[in-house]
Amino acid sequence: MALLDLKVNGQEAQVEAPDTALLLDVLRERLFLTGAKRGCETSHCGCCTVRVDGMAVHSCVVLAARCQGKEITTVEGCGDGMELDRLQRLFLEHGAVQCGYCGPGMLMAAKALLERNPQPTLDEVKKGLDGNLCRCTGYTPIFDAILAYSRGA
Amino acid sequence: MECKLIRPTDLDEALAAREEYTDGLPIAGGQSLLVMMRNRLISPGALIDLEPVEALRGIEVQSTGISIGAMNTCRQLIASPVLREEVGVLPSAARQVSSTAVRNLGTIGGNVCHNEPGADLPPVLLALNGRAVLRRRTHGREVPLEEFFTGYFETALEADEILCRIDIEHPNAAGVYLKHAISPEDLAIVGVAAVVVPDSERPGAVAEARIGIGGAAPVPLRASRTEAALKGAVLDEETARAAGELASTEVDTGSDPHASAGYRRKMVAVFVRRALLHAANQMMGNGHGAA
Ligand SMILES: Cc1cc2nc3c(=O)[nH]c(=O)nc-3n(C[C@H](O)[C@H](O)[C@H](O)COP(=O)(O)OP(=O)(O)OC[C@H]3O[C@@H](n4cnc5c(N)ncnc54)[C@H](O)[C@@H]3O)c2cc1C
Ligand code: FES
Ligand code: FES
Repeated sequence: MALLDLKVNGQEAQVEAPDTALLLDVLRERLFLTGAKRGCETSHCGCCTVRVDGMAVHSCVVLAARCQGKEITTVEGCGDGMELDRLQRLFLEHGAVQCGYCGPGMLMAAKALLERNPQPTLDEVKKGLDGNLCRCTGYTPIFDAILAYSRGA
Repeated sequence: MECKLIRPTDLDEALAAREEYTDGLPIAGGQSLLVMMRNRLISPGALIDLEPVEALRGIEVQSTGISIGAMNTCRQLIASPVLREEVGVLPSAARQVSSTAVRNLGTIGGNVCHNEPGADLPPVLLALNGRAVLRRRTHGREVPLEEFFTGYFETALEADEILCRIDIEHPNAAGVYLKHAISPEDLAIVGVAAVVVPDSERPGAVAEARIGIGGAAPVPLRASRTEAALKGAVLDEETARAAGELASTEVDTGSDPHASAGYRRKMVAVFVRRALLHAANQMMGNGHGAA
């Protein structure tokens, strides 16, 4: 076991976890941040996407121990915990969420993309979300919400 | 049994740990390794974290070529000004690896050591005459990638070795990587890299064409008979078509749920032809070209 010093959504947390604990498990089961979802657990679906130092990663294939000293951001870090932020609102307005299972990962991948490239083309949005599957919406409403965000809607 | 995590601070410590933990494995990006562990295909007793090891980083231009640290991620290959300028074919292939999240963490060293059929970097690195620079605690050795890829998910890496760098030739050549997959995030059914070196005496002719093929067979390979046939050739439609046909006879294709052996063979012919024509166009378009 190891004692890990993590910084999640701006807050310091110390957790005890097995040496090779996965970030997804630590977030969900030790810190009770259940926004990042458990899906394939093999880096295919993207519903576990969080940001580490700004980069979108699949937290099911990241060692928590490696995230020490880095900034971890999950969907719980969007908005202020009560109010949705602008991208979340646009997801809602565009019907980008049906069952919602992909949503937290989509939001985190989209935020990483928009920070890197604030005015993405549709193709760039698709490429930026290529690690995130959605079984419900057909993707179009998700892309629309992200493009609306970049237009300042 | 719990798996330990060893975090060495430099290469010497990493190599000592590699020697000590005979049931351990190095972890690079973890994108394949952690999936293999999750699927209970492997259960190492220790993971030796290569992230803190400075000696495995960086991309250096040397007189003979370019030396790429094993821990460079696909994201870093794509962003590297040196690679984009000198060997555009490598960042272009890195851009075609899986998804953004996998490219953010997956490394060139991990891609090569994992040697998964259909991986995108091996065919390109083969066509760039890549060499694996390996170290164990007591000494090091260099292995041409053609000898490094030994079998299905198998390499020449020994249990106490770490892959430190991949050295590629300074190509002065044009290069193209084409990937044929069901969806762009999938592993390649067939991935073909063509690197062509212009003949300085005869405009339009190639001094040398090098062809790396991934996905089609259990092990990525160079199409050496096809390469021999192309020495000094002018790469027109007909030559490229014949080269594709010849290359398809060099590959010991296999069937899996994604494609039959026969289909793969046909696709080798198609993609070798296309890759050669693209590369020839690039060569004509901008003189020295940037592979
Ligand atoms: C969903 C998914 C889709 C993918 N699609 C593609 C694709 O389309 N194209 C493609 O090319 N790849 C694909 N991959 C593979 C991906 O690129 C891997 O991340 C990569 O091949 C392994 O790199 P890594 O740095 O994550 O290595 P790790 O997973 O950390 O390691 C892989 C293996 O290599 C060993 N190893 C790593 N580095 C070294 C070193 N320096 N010295 C000695 N041994 C070492 C490890 O011990 C382990 O056995 C995919 C992977 C996933 C999960
Ligand atoms: S749960 Fe991590 S990618 Fe599917
Ligand atoms: S809304 Fe159901 S998976 Fe995307």
